[in-house]
Amino acid sequence: MTMAPERSAGRIIVADGHADTAQIAAFERDRRDLLERGFGLGAVAIAASSIPLLLAVRNAFAQAGEDGAILASAINLERIAVIAYSAVIDSGLLSPAVERIARRFRGHEQEHADALTTALTDLGGTPPSKPSGVKDVDKVVKGLGDVKSQADIANFAIELETAAVAAYYDAHRKLVDAKLLQTGASIMANEGQHLVVLRQLVKQDPVPNALETGKA
Amino acid sequence: MDIDSFLRDPLSRRRFMSAWGVSLAGGSAAFLAACGDDTKSPGVQTGPDESDQADVEILNSVLDLELLAVAAYKAGAALLTGDVLQVGKAFLEQEQEHADALAQAIKDAGGTPNKAKASYDFPKLSSQNDVLKFAVELDNTAIAAYIDALPKFSQRDLRATAAAIVTTEAEHIAVLLGALGDNQVPDAFVTGRAA
Repeated sequence: MTMAPERSAGRIIVADGHADTAQIAAFERDRRDLLERGFGLGAVAIAASSIPLLLAVRNAFAQAGEDGAILASAINLERIAVIAYSAVIDSGLLSPAVERIARRFRGHEQEHADALTTALTDLGGTPPSKPSGVKDVDKVVKGLGDVKSQADIANFAIELETAAVAAYYDAHRKLVDAKLLQTGASIMANEGQHLVVLRQLVKQDPVPNALETGKA
Repeated sequence: MDIDSFLRDPLSRRRFMSAWGVSLAGGSAAFLAACGDDTKSPGVQTGPDESDQADVEILNSVLDLELLAVAAYKAGAALLTGDVLQVGKAFLEQEQEHADALAQAIKDAGGTPNKAKASYDFPKLSSQNDVLKFAVELDNTAIAAYIDALPKFSQRDLRATAAAIVTTEAEHIAVLLGALGDNQVPDAFVTGRAA
């Protein structure tokens, strides 16, 4: 456990604001557009490891600096998770029970994206451009196009959720706004719960570490 | 009081926590003191000693909850069997790891870690399910306390560590709910439940 005595700038800003409904409506249109996209799933074995990619994503996320930039990265990551879950739901590889789980998790990721988008617009920011599809998923975790079984999908999703946990973990050293810190923790914790279900699907230890940091 | 009555009654939960010196999210003197004044003008910096003292108070508040959880898992272990017993042992070790890490952080900040109480007066636990439900309750209380405390830490590393502990506690809940046959991930946002 690292407890280096890094100091914050001092103040915590608690920001309240009203949602920008026009922005949300625009985002909803984007979301529907995203969900209409589908992906063909190939028959090649899943990529062995995406650790270098995870590191790259985590660094990009944490180095964004200002709260708005971190939020934009988080929104992008959540949208990519929605795309990924949509793709696996459409794959035909999931049992009905696991498909229901994937639908529920996709709903959670969408809720995260919506809440973060509201937070970003409250800060006066503009949501990032929407991910284009499976190519953007590959920028986070490779292998979505290669899954050929439910176990492959679970392992892919474990890597994706782990990347998200790592990104939120590192963001907690950068975020300034108190409510964003709290929202980030509540989302990170939800991604951790997704990990539990996914790990149990492939008979892994559901809670392997006392500190869930998303680190490899 | 049996566990179901305990869980239904917010006053009982609050009394239980406060009886053991657990500082609860949002309401305790320790938390309020540690919170400081978020509205003070820009440029007014809190001195290092003051920040350390504030961090120590918050850390001790959540340490109390971790020590309570350790005691609860120890008390409930006798009612657990098979795979659930193994889960209980693993979670007990993880709660102890949290407590140890918090105690170390308190020492690093120049403070004195709170100790576990000599005994805890838990609600009556009569079955494995009682233990699981009580563990869910304690994890939810801890999550609410950590989320409340998280922005108040002056050290940014402590914020990240608190988020990692929140996530682990949330993972415990997912496993415990699964063992109870409930929906393991009921909400998109895990906020816990203040006692």
